Amino acid sequence: MNRYLLSAGALVLGTGSAFAHVTFETQEAAVGSTYKAVLRVPHGCDGKATTAVRVQIPEGVISVKPMPKPGWTLQVKKGKYEKSYQLHGQAVTSGVKEVDWSGGSLPDEFYEEFIFRATLAADLPAGQTLYFPVVQECDGVAERWIEIPASGQDEDSLESPAPGIKLVPRE
Amino acid sequence: MSAASLQRAVCTACKGASRLAAGLLAAIMLLAAIAAPNQAFAHAALVTADPADGAVLGQSPAHFSLTFSEPASPLVLTLVRPDGTAVPLTSFRLNGQTVEIDNSQMLGSGTHVLSWRVISADGHPVGGSVLFSIGAPSAAPAVSEAVDLDLRSAIWVAKVFLYAGLFLGVGGAFAIAWLAQGGRTGRRFVIAAILCGLAAAPLSLGLQGLDALGAPLTRLAQPGVWQAGLATSFGWTALIAVVALGLGLLSLVGPRGGAKLFALAGLTGVGAALAASGHASAAEPQWLTRPMVFLHGAGIAFWAGALAPLGLAIRRKPAEAAAFLRRFSHTILPVVAVLAATGIVLAIIQVQAPAALLGTAYGRLLLVKLALLFFLFTLAATNRWKLTRPAEAGETEVQRRLVRSIGIEMLIVLAIFGVAAGWRFTPPPRALAIAAAQPASIHIHTPKAMADLSITPGHVGPVAASMIIMTGDFGPLDASQVTLVLSKPDSGIEPIKRAAIKPGDGTWRVDDLVIPVPGRWTVRLDILVSDFEIVKIEAPIDIRP
Repeated sequence: MNRYLLSAGALVLGTGSAFAHVTFETQEAAVGSTYKAVLRVPHGCDGKATTAVRVQIPEGVISVKPMPKPGWTLQVKKGKYEKSYQLHGQAVTSGVKEVDWSGGSLPDEFYEEFIFRATLAADLPAGQTLYFPVVQECDGVAERWIEIPASGQDEDSLESPAPGIKLVPRE
Repeated sequence: MSAASLQRAVCTACKGASRLAAGLLAAIMLLAAIAAPNQAFAHAALVTADPADGAVLGQSPAHFSLTFSEPASPLVLTLVRPDGTAVPLTSFRLNGQTVEIDNSQMLGSGTHVLSWRVISADGHPVGGSVLFSIGAPSAAPAVSEAVDLDLRSAIWVAKVFLYAGLFLGVGGAFAIAWLAQGGRTGRRFVIAAILCGLAAAPLSLGLQGLDALGAPLTRLAQPGVWQAGLATSFGWTALIAVVALGLGLLSLVGPRGGAKLFALAGLTGVGAALAASGHASAAEPQWLTRPMVFLHGAGIAFWAGALAPLGLAIRRKPAEAAAFLRRFSHTILPVVAVLAATGIVLAIIQVQAPAALLGTAYGRLLLVKLALLFFLFTLAATNRWKLTRPAEAGETEVQRRLVRSIGIEMLIVLAIFGVAAGWRFTPPPRALAIAAAQPASIHIHTPKAMADLSITPGHVGPVAASMIIMTGDFGPLDASQVTLVLSKPDSGIEPIKRAAIKPGDGTWRVDDLVIPVPGRWTVRLDILVSDFEIVKIEAPIDIRP
């Protein structure tokens, strides 16, 4: 709850000053393939050092394995998928739903990358964009990269868009 | 001003009494013309309309709804199509403060006008219109909201005659029965005043019906007009007034034994008739205002009613009049005290802020009335403390002056009636303040979330916003954050962004908000549904100047 209050403060003071968004290095991936996600964090929240990065894993992204980062505590939250997926001939019904790197300190003037590897389910819709909402926490404030454009809405019009990858058909 | 110079002033006035009267009447007419506002101000203010004013709809709506600041019943609802043809809307329901209207016809594209006229608790009709467009806006059809000056004049004249009937007629009957005690001088004058009132009361009802329906004078003969008039709270005033006038007449021409009783009942009726409708009676708190109006009305009848019989009695039968004069001068002081006290209380309730005395038509009429009252009180005080005793003693020169002075008092009283009748067209500052304080409200409905948002007061300046957030299907939505964003792209003002707080009553609030300019703003709510999910909904909202 405290965090919500703090991040409420962040929304008041903060947003609108995003010079650069949180994005993925590779912005295109084929469905049914393994994807190495490199999340680029270009700045802190309003000049404050980043202390945590939390990524929500969307439905259809399975077998998630985050890369540990020295100086940061790595945690995952697991849960049930909405449906069952086939992975190497086996049915998978649950797995990682959220990845948290926390306890670190990334000053505003430095750049950092947060990495995880995942499998994109074969039945994800090719041609669409898959969004990974990210909450970037700093000391007492937060930036929420969680906006997903409505159908027909221009992504550029969003203040804090969630990073996404364009899904392409399987090769 | 010394007593001597006061007397000189009074006597100068005596000589020019007829000129003074003509001047006063002209001044009243002029003031009434200046004070009459050009449009009906809201007593029951329109709070929300669906479709909203200025809305552009994709398709023809199946129904309309109008929500007011207090319960109001529709008198006339009309839909004006883009080609200017008007269609009456007759199928509607009252749901609390909301009027729900069915629309059975398919509306073509273009701008339509939903014109409404409703009546609220004070018995005064108000009207307005809502413009909306199907497809895309077109040139708005012309809707006449012009003031019917003929009707207004007729209402004003009828009202003055009704006042004359109630105050001079019924009040006069009371004076003859209780103060003259056997003297019958002035009886003819009083009967004439009562007959005036008896003609004016039903006529006022028909005129009220015309005003209620926004119909011209030529439709006065139609029964629907009279029904509409009767259905307003003024219907009660007219009915009670007729009974009071009848009782007054009965006390004069009926059996002598019942004269006092009939006259007293008539005087009570005068107070009741005035308390039944009008601005002052409709004001809150009702337990205070209605008795105050009652006492004020009865007090006026007592005082004004006694003037004509008294003056005539002194002129014609000075010997008999002495007892009349004595009784009147003994009772008038407490009556005037009650009049002044009730008048002051009602004025404070209605005007609220001293600035409204000059700033509103209602306040200006009150100032005119106060000026006339000052005149009246000066004359009355002179009569009471300088002239009454020698007149009672039989000094004929003083008696003549007293009669002239009473004559001028009568003229001033008539002028005051004229001013008071002008209030019929001016909403009191109290009602204006209520209308100004009304919030601007909108309902935003999207599949993901919806919100009821009110900005209070709905005009520029410091405001507070209150929001109720729900899911798209009216379920509870326990948001973790709500941010209000107000923008006005055409004004060059950067979006105003404020985090809302949760006071704990299920709403979200933003206090300390200042809206700098009036007009159409875009309001957006950023609702953080969960840690990773945000819903943004937006809609236009109209902020009054």
